[in-house]
Amino acid sequence: MGASTLLLTGNIDTIAQMSCNPAIGGQAKGQIVREIDALGGEMAINTDVTGIQFRLLNESKGPAVQSPRAQCDKKAYQFRLKHTLELQPNLQVFQATVTGLIFAAGKVVGCQTSLDIEFLGQTVIITTGTFLRGLMHVGQNKNEGGRLGDFSAKSLSSSLLEAGIELQRLKTGTPPRILGRSINFTGLQEQKGDLAPTLFAFHDTRDPEDLFHVEPTGERRLGWKPGSEQISCWMTYTTPESERIVRENLHKSAMYSGEIVGVGPRYCPSIEDKFVRFADKPRHLLFLEPEGRSTNEYYINGLSTSLPFDVQVDLVHSIPGLEQAALLRPAYAVEYDFAPPTQMFPSLESRKVENLFLAGQINGTSGYEEAAAQGLVAGVNAVRKVRGENPMIIQRHEGYIGVLIDDLVTKGTTEPYRMFTSRAEHRLLFNHGSAELRLYQHSLNCNLLSLSRLGRIRQKALAIEYWENYIETMKTAGGIWAEKIRRSEPLNELPAGFLAQPKEVREETLYRVRYRGYLEREQRQIEKLKDVEKIKIPSSIDYLAIPGMRRESALKLHQFRPENLGQAARISGVNPADISILMVLIAAANRSQSRPPAAG
Amino acid sequence: MSFPSDTIAALATPVGTSAIAMVRASGAQVATLATEIFGATPLPRTVRHADYRDARGQLVDDVLFTYFAAPNSFTGEDTLEISCHGNPFIVQKILEDLLARGCRAAEAGEFSKRAFLNGRMDLSQAEAVMDLIHARSERALAAANLQLRGSLGRHMNSLISQLINILAEVEAYIDFPDEDLPTADRKAVLRDLDVLTTATSRLLATCHYGQLLREGIKTVILGEPNAGKSSLLNRLVGHERALVDPEPGTTRDYLEELILAGPHALRLIDTAGLNLSPSPLEKRGIEKSLEQAAEADLFLWVIDTTRPLPVLPPVVAARLSAANTIAVFNKCDLPAVSPDLLPYNFSSVKISALTGRGLEALQAEISRLADGFKVGVGDELIAINVRHAHALEQAKQSLEAAHQKLSLGITSELVASDLRVSLDALGQISGKIDNEKILDRLFSSFCIGK
Ligand SMILES: Nc1nc2c(ncn2[C@@H]2O[C@H](COP(=O)(O)OP(=O)(O)OP(=O)(O)O)[C@@H](O)[C@H]2O)c(=O)[nH]1
Ligand SMILES: [Mg+2]
Repeated sequence: MGASTLLLTGNIDTIAQMSCNPAIGGQAKGQIVREIDALGGEMAINTDVTGIQFRLLNESKGPAVQSPRAQCDKKAYQFRLKHTLELQPNLQVFQATVTGLIFAAGKVVGCQTSLDIEFLGQTVIITTGTFLRGLMHVGQNKNEGGRLGDFSAKSLSSSLLEAGIELQRLKTGTPPRILGRSINFTGLQEQKGDLAPTLFAFHDTRDPEDLFHVEPTGERRLGWKPGSEQISCWMTYTTPESERIVRENLHKSAMYSGEIVGVGPRYCPSIEDKFVRFADKPRHLLFLEPEGRSTNEYYINGLSTSLPFDVQVDLVHSIPGLEQAALLRPAYAVEYDFAPPTQMFPSLESRKVENLFLAGQINGTSGYEEAAAQGLVAGVNAVRKVRGENPMIIQRHEGYIGVLIDDLVTKGTTEPYRMFTSRAEHRLLFNHGSAELRLYQHSLNCNLLSLSRLGRIRQKALAIEYWENYIETMKTAGGIWAEKIRRSEPLNELPAGFLAQPKEVREETLYRVRYRGYLEREQRQIEKLKDVEKIKIPSSIDYLAIPGMRRESALKLHQFRPENLGQAARISGVNPADISILMVLIAAANRSQSRPPAAG
Repeated sequence: MSFPSDTIAALATPVGTSAIAMVRASGAQVATLATEIFGATPLPRTVRHADYRDARGQLVDDVLFTYFAAPNSFTGEDTLEISCHGNPFIVQKILEDLLARGCRAAEAGEFSKRAFLNGRMDLSQAEAVMDLIHARSERALAAANLQLRGSLGRHMNSLISQLINILAEVEAYIDFPDEDLPTADRKAVLRDLDVLTTATSRLLATCHYGQLLREGIKTVILGEPNAGKSSLLNRLVGHERALVDPEPGTTRDYLEELILAGPHALRLIDTAGLNLSPSPLEKRGIEKSLEQAAEADLFLWVIDTTRPLPVLPPVVAARLSAANTIAVFNKCDLPAVSPDLLPYNFSSVKISALTGRGLEALQAEISRLADGFKVGVGDELIAINVRHAHALEQAKQSLEAAHQKLSLGITSELVASDLRVSLDALGQISGKIDNEKILDRLFSSFCIGK
């Protein structure tokens, strides 16, 4: 977009450092990464080039919910992204801890840093991750910091509070890291990467110069071909002994002893939670995930805990394969401040402070992908704000990013928010391969991709349309192609011209043909919803004066001032009966307006 | 934007002469009105006795009145209820006076509309009130009353919670594939789906009964020409509604009248006599009779006892059964020729449409059969309306589609898609169901995630 931008970070060397496991994608998140790529983001290409294991999840559950996932080389991922930033024109990167914001006339105009250097800007984006008053727990032991070995952003919170932004606490956790050569892999089940890896970036439309990898010498070159030389993960399980250890030491866990006030995610339960809340489950699955090619560090996925270190050691040793494991870093829980996201507009701009944008964990989300998506949207909208352009708002039916932001700003969240495919009502439209096509209009309008790439996407869309139409109308022995496909009849050969198309064109065409009935059903529902979105709420409305509307709803509506009924209905705390009242009132108001004015 | 603020007034009890009538006024002016009419500022929710004097100071009646302050009233607005003597003349006087004092005459259902607008009732309750207003029989009233108290809402909640359970299982399997879910048991899901489909059908089945309650039981009088069908209709209606003549073939076109039989409302339909060798004109009449018979709920088969036993056309005979037919042996004031023995197991009643003999027995028999149409859910009387039925039908179809896909092993994303369509359909009755509900269920029942 070409805007002059400054990136401030507390430590340049930890840009794009993955605090949790070095895995990108997975259910719904994989689709988000492809959407990020469709909007010109870096995450997909960075993952492809530094990935060490690629797997397509949900293969048997249908093409729409299939999600790519990759295990990355933690250091390679980080180096490449830092290098990408260094190469970015108009971007200045500088190391300094932001200590506060500078306001003028209710707007943010810049920030202060620990170096006593002030920076001014027309818009400011805050992405604090888990660092905002970050507090780490290992049993009773507490350390300030957003990540083991890192600092905590302590004074920024007061600046936000001062500006009228409400803050709350969340909690997340991470498991122990162990030394690979201390693991006994015999008897453990191996999980290999896919032979034909599914990559994240749209290599069919991307410009080829994106494919590089950064060598320790700082040299850019293709280190390993995306998806080649994959490394395996390994599976093991907890034992009855593990359960005994956890139960006997429960009172020492930071979470169970009341040390932690922040709310943790329900979908990523600590091992304490797993044994306590799901006592009927005899054992819990754990993955041993390598953290890179040039390290022997392994991540025990599934063993997040805030038990004291000595208990962690016993716990790890109670697990098959890990009897002799050497711990490199302990598991810990981290608490941090977040700003309940209902305080933002759908553009991710704060409602309280003009020109202030928020993205990532500060908005209550968890996950690299959710954070990256918000960072991208906030970045685009901050630039558009400066230029006086309308914000880019991705709709709920256009992609997971749309669902993510709409959920955040209309419903808020009480736990770290993670995307699931089940959060999307139009999930069948969100197959990962269609991300570029779904979001084309946005990347075109906001100038997010190179002209050459936009052209290639357009060509791809045309080819898909052509072949979809061809298959829907052309006959072959035994009927029209499309019907044979939908009846899942064995197809000896599809038209030769079609088979000559690139894989991306073929797959998307067949998806559309195969799911035609369902996709049309989704479209009908979207149209129906759009009707509600079309019902504009007069801006003159005084919610607090509507007789009998529940107080909570009236206050929420008054606060959010939704533009249409669809938005109003999604605001948390506004109940359907109140929406009905609103609907009837608007209808009545429209009716009285359309009446001819009385004479005199 | 403005909100309803004018004060409306109307008679709240049924029109006609009864001991007590109640006039209701609702709106912002009510407190002022009460002070004007009765001289003192009224205490809310207290029954007071007072003279009602019109604007010119003339005494109209001595009345009881109650003032309800907003929002604790039926409409959610300030409300005044005036109970006067049930003389239509007095009621008229009071209403005229209220209008003279600045009230507006309420439109039909306007009190309910305001109650709805003011959040005093949900959509299904508001619908029930409309049903109450239009209730044609005691039974319809009972059903509408029950719905008003939320019995439909309760049943809907039960369906929705079952469906969310099922959906959560399918979704868990999609969103957390790495984990070995304890309930990847497809058979259990299929069983749950069966149970849910049955429950949905049971609720759906009350639709027809609901229609019977709201619109009346469609009751067709049929029989040979001259058997006395029109005479019977006139008897049941209570006045000369249909033309009666000694000449067979008098009734050419069908004719409908609404009557009450005990607690039930009946749409009584007189038809042209069924003649086995009709003239062309009669033939058209008979075709219409058959059309009516095809969608009837109840049949009164009138048989002339002074003539040999008639034979029914097979198309008609096929529709008749002991549950829906009464054999009415008419003209029993005259000597009988045919024995009252029929080759069917229908219940029978002997009457004379001319003298009125046996009419009570016939009404009792009609009531008994009509009771048999009652479709309850459990021992509760529920009668859904057509809008509900439409949504339930859609829900049911999607449940069946999901069931089929699941048993054929078709991908779970499509199974989930059908289940969601079904959930949306149920949401049309009880309000939109948020995705969060599914996730809440999912997190509380499954140990998922890493
Ligand atoms: N004695 C006697 N005559 C009756 C009785 N019911 C009907 N009738 C007479 O039978 C004749 C036919 O009566 P309708 O009521 O017109 O008969 P219907 O079945 O409607 O005849 P169509 O319309 O011609 O099919 C009239 O002359 C009636 O007065 C009865 O109970 N007793
Ligand atoms: Mg007749």
